[in-house]
Amino acid sequence: MTVVARGEVETLRPVSDIALVDLLDRLLGTGVVLAGDIVISLAGVDLVEVRLQALITSVRAQAEREQRAWEERIR
Amino acid sequence: MAETGRYLYAVTRDLRPQATADVAGVGGTSVETLAHRGLTALVSTVSLDEFGEEPLRRNLEEMAWLERTARAHDEVVRLAAEHGATAPLRMLTICRDDRAVLDRLDEMYDDLVAALARIEGRHEWSVKLVLPPTSTTSKPPSSTAATPPPAGRAGGGAAYLRAKKAAAQLQRESQDSAARTAQEVYDELSSLAVAGRRLRPQDPRLSGLPGTMTLNAAYLVDDACSDSFTSAVTRLAGSHPEIQVRVDGPWPPYSFIEGDPS
Repeated sequence: MTVVARGEVETLRPVSDIALVDLLDRLLGTGVVLAGDIVISLAGVDLVEVRLQALITSVRAQAEREQRAWEERIR
Repeated sequence: MAETGRYLYAVTRDLRPQATADVAGVGGTSVETLAHRGLTALVSTVSLDEFGEEPLRRNLEEMAWLERTARAHDEVVRLAAEHGATAPLRMLTICRDDRAVLDRLDEMYDDLVAALARIEGRHEWSVKLVLPPTSTTSKPPSSTAATPPPAGRAGGGAAYLRAKKAAAQLQRESQDSAARTAQEVYDELSSLAVAGRRLRPQDPRLSGLPGTMTLNAAYLVDDACSDSFTSAVTRLAGSHPEIQVRVDGPWPPYSFIEGDPS
């Protein structure tokens, strides 16, 4: 269920609609952590922070490209 | 043939093997159950070409892969949670083989049993507060703009500086008040939940929610209390019209499984 601003209530969202960032908050930040005889002892959070950082960088690069294109148009 | 590992999704109790027949696991694998001392682990066989340490580093850089895998993991956990208390494991927990999975279950047996007892009949709810971007924080308040500036260049400059200072002051006050509201809402909802945690606020570029996230909270709520919990959120949203309030749930209790009871 989602409640959005000012007391307005939306209906249950389908599972596929769950924001990826909400999922990753939970799937990588928490959960039972195993240690020992495991092939992967991932510092999952660190890796994904790298990844999300890359995403932010690409969002920023895109915004800058748009800004430059806009500046060239109005020149 | 490539080396394989056992991907471990979650641990639950006494799940029938047929329960997982219709769900696809990570990488399109089938999901199996491993029963051990009254616990059931949900596992898939994954290729280490895809889920080995080095391939994972590459795959984690790929948004589409990450999303696909996260959603598959979540779907398996949700399916198990429909049948009873389920302790999700961190995404990408991979053991060498079944023997290694069972050894872990033995090692963690007491913690797992305690975790399952703690989350029985309870689910996680997410509550977020977002302070929308406002024009008052980027411009001087309109009341200042409406006041005619005193005559003379020096006077005009001083008025501009005063307005700028006032705007900065207003922004600080609005941020302080948003932080106070976030703490109040968090505390009030905590009183209706079994446990609560404050997660790190999300970046607006990732959440798609413009503004400043002042609260990203997770609560463990008794199923019997979920209606009163969401009603309380709705009521709080009504009394803070300046802030966007979102509640999502029920989730499997992802944020309430870690060994240390915080």
